[in-house]
Amino acid sequence: MASGEVEQPQASGSSAPVGSDSASPAPALPPPEKPSAVRQRSYVVLSFWLVVLLLGLPIWWKTTAIYRAELPLDSMLKWADGKACRPVFPLQISIQADALQEQEAHNLIRLTQHALDDLNDFSGHHLRLQLAPRNAPLPKDDFRTALTIRLQPGTGTSASLNQESAVLDITYPPNYVPSLTSPSSPLASYITNELRATFAEEQSIISYLLSTSSMSTGVRPQGLSAEAAEALSKRTTRSLRYAPTYHLTFSLFTANGVPNTWDIEAALDEYIRPMLEVLRPIHNFTIDTQVQLYAVPGVQSQVLSKEHLSSFINAAEWPLSPSIGKAPTVNFVIYVGNQTVALDAETETSQSWMIPQWGTVYLLSHPDTVSHVSVEELKQPMLTFGGHLLSLLGTPQSGSLPLRLSTLGRIRSTDLLLRASSTLGSLARLSLALPSISIPRSVADGVSKTMHHLELACADLGGPEGLMHARIAEEEAERAFFEKSMVGQLYFPDEHKIAVYLPLLGPVFVPLILGLINEIKKLVKEAKQKALDARSKKHQ
Amino acid sequence: MSTTVTLQSKVGVFAGAALLRLVLFAAFPSLPDLLTGRVEISTPVTSFKRLQEGLFLYNHNVSPYDGGVFHQAPLLLPLFSLLPDVKTWPIFTALLYILVDLLSAYALLVIADSGEAGQSKHFTSPRRAKRSSGLLVAAAFLFNPYTIASCIGRSTSAFTNCAILFAIAKALSGSPFNSMVAISFASYLSMYPILLLPPLVLLAYDRQSDKRRIDSAVQFSLRAILIAATCISLLLAMSFALTGNSWDFLARTYGIQLTLSDLTPTVGLWWYFFIEIFDSFRAFFLAVFWLHLVIYVGGLSIRLRTQPLAVLTILLGIFAVFKPYPSISDTSLFLAMLALYRHLYPIMRYTYVASATMLYATFLGPAFYHLWIYAGSGNANFFYAITLVWSLGQSLFVSDLTFAVLRDEWEVERPDMVGKEIRQI
Repeated sequence: MASGEVEQPQASGSSAPVGSDSASPAPALPPPEKPSAVRQRSYVVLSFWLVVLLLGLPIWWKTTAIYRAELPLDSMLKWADGKACRPVFPLQISIQADALQEQEAHNLIRLTQHALDDLNDFSGHHLRLQLAPRNAPLPKDDFRTALTIRLQPGTGTSASLNQESAVLDITYPPNYVPSLTSPSSPLASYITNELRATFAEEQSIISYLLSTSSMSTGVRPQGLSAEAAEALSKRTTRSLRYAPTYHLTFSLFTANGVPNTWDIEAALDEYIRPMLEVLRPIHNFTIDTQVQLYAVPGVQSQVLSKEHLSSFINAAEWPLSPSIGKAPTVNFVIYVGNQTVALDAETETSQSWMIPQWGTVYLLSHPDTVSHVSVEELKQPMLTFGGHLLSLLGTPQSGSLPLRLSTLGRIRSTDLLLRASSTLGSLARLSLALPSISIPRSVADGVSKTMHHLELACADLGGPEGLMHARIAEEEAERAFFEKSMVGQLYFPDEHKIAVYLPLLGPVFVPLILGLINEIKKLVKEAKQKALDARSKKHQ
Repeated sequence: MSTTVTLQSKVGVFAGAALLRLVLFAAFPSLPDLLTGRVEISTPVTSFKRLQEGLFLYNHNVSPYDGGVFHQAPLLLPLFSLLPDVKTWPIFTALLYILVDLLSAYALLVIADSGEAGQSKHFTSPRRAKRSSGLLVAAAFLFNPYTIASCIGRSTSAFTNCAILFAIAKALSGSPFNSMVAISFASYLSMYPILLLPPLVLLAYDRQSDKRRIDSAVQFSLRAILIAATCISLLLAMSFALTGNSWDFLARTYGIQLTLSDLTPTVGLWWYFFIEIFDSFRAFFLAVFWLHLVIYVGGLSIRLRTQPLAVLTILLGIFAVFKPYPSISDTSLFLAMLALYRHLYPIMRYTYVASATMLYATFLGPAFYHLWIYAGSGNANFFYAITLVWSLGQSLFVSDLTFAVLRDEWEVERPDMVGKEIRQI
């Protein structure tokens, strides 16, 4: 743009030779510039460059500096490599042996503990026995104690898991009680085997989790056969990714106009909600229901073979939204029609099947004339759904419900802990790999929060506190990793900066720099002239 | 005899201009609202519509900035709340704006009659005999369609323009104090006039009255700056008290201009650029654009030290092109000042091209805006392209004026070159 400095050479003819003979100017040559004009031009150039240097440079430095908050990279990588935390699950098992004498009971526990320790192939999974106080009531919902063993004298050895609470009832013949001196006892080895059987699935799941994660350096998946590993990986793929909240959608689809009402609220209250209540420490749930009439399934054939099942859901027309809000959706579909499933699957019944990571379909046969589905009719579907929900959440298959749930809590804690740790590791590697990525303060905050909660979770892996901390840690780690302002910078390589700076600043700087060069040339010339003058004076 | 004639014609020009505006206000009752809605006239920081919103909130004891659309100086609010409601009595608001325009014209008259454009303290133009009369300059301002449109559109930049013109007029008539107070008002209202302070101080220094003369330039400028700073602080303190003892208004008025957080289209160059710029470079380029405005002040003041009024005129032209929220009101101010340099028109080279470009943009601008916003058959690039043409026309005027001023100065030095072609080397 127009400025005094740019116009200057036009108006004053700056090519005038300095020091030309002013007494007889050649007619073609303009007269020399006045010293005041020369000085003025220097001031103009100076004024432009002062603004550039004093204001422009600091502003450029400040506004384009990439803010990189300090991240504790070493400890983040330590977490990712599994060096910061050894996942240990100290499982308290209390033994109620009211029929035994105190001394005998202590001896029995000592022997059993020895046997367990000898057997133990996975150091993380620690079973610790302790004697329950005599005549104590059964512990309710106590996460400290994973299992209570009730020893009762009987005619033969038998063991049964209580379905209501985490209690293992063991009966034994009187001669099984170890004497105070004997180094081993049949009762002790029986209890050992029972305990091992009870916790075998949990142990294999957790060691599988650890082995597949990057934290596996310390832990070897021992005693995990190829088939078992495959079954476990199948289980993992079937279950939904962990989320703090799931959205359950119960849908009734009918092939024609009836039935058009169902007692879903009552059925939910009766069969589903109690189970959700039990799951509450691990997940939250939201529920909605819908009825769709004249719904055509994706497969029309009368008898559904295994291949048909995957395309039965008419995804294009049935309003089963993938997820409502932030929470992932689990779909439970009751289809009223006359199709049946060809019985060849091992785990599915003839009426329902589970779709991995999606939900369950139940084929309900219902008389065409009745337009209402009663609670009684809904019982079987609801029970199926409940069972499948547990599988979809990744609950182990064996054991009583309380045991399965407490196991689920531990599995989820481990899973979350591993996931948060590996996210931390990814973030650390990302910030090392991309030196130009900006790291806002919020990311650093998220990382420090994650590490804090990870430490707390690691200290108490078996308990509900551990689960809570692991949940927070995972959430914070994900938020830090997916920080929006960081992602935007990712795709901005240094070369692009030329394209940003040059179009505007290039034209601005051409006159600025040319002016500066002219000034410097003039200064150099003057200095030379001065030196020359001084020398010639000396010679005279 | 001649004084009465000029007095009569002065009254005639002023009355004619007032009457024309009154007729436009009265005969076309929907015209003011139509013009108020035009992006060419109303910018986020001068819009009368936004002022109404702020006024409504202010009259209902809510912070006027809570609505998020009002970005103007708080002291405008008590002024406008004194007036009767604009919906029922639009004539009072109209009268206020007409009065402001007439005052601006009066200030221009004073500026023109002082003869500063042709003959300053350190420089006398050989062409000064042909300079335009004050009446002509005032008439050129008053009957400029851009001025009339911004008056009918009730853009609050009229107040800023009036304050700037009075600051110059007062500096010329040898009252530096009043000049500093006026420029403080202008800066308080629109912020950018603070950049006019250096040439204005020089102008006031050159035109001091003999009675109260301060010979030291440093002492004079320190005093002037002190006066301006005190006055601005007073105005800010009053605003502070007015907006419920909070400094929030700073961020909502000047902050908006500094950060350009309101990206409403204007005739300027900023809005499109900052829609497109990468977020991470936004802060840097905001600084660059502002520095670009700042950088001319020093260089021009030094180079044209002998003609501070020319510096002011050129700077006003630069601001009308490059400031964050320009409107045609800023252009009208620059054109009014340009009229003072009629004696330089013969040595300006691009007057025809520049005026043709500006006329072209004036007619096509609204059409392209219509295509983009209402017809939907164009996009933002249409309007941006025409604002580029508009800015090109104005910057042609600015650079041409700069060239003419320098050439005029040079010809004093080199009388042998008068009338000869110059060539770039």
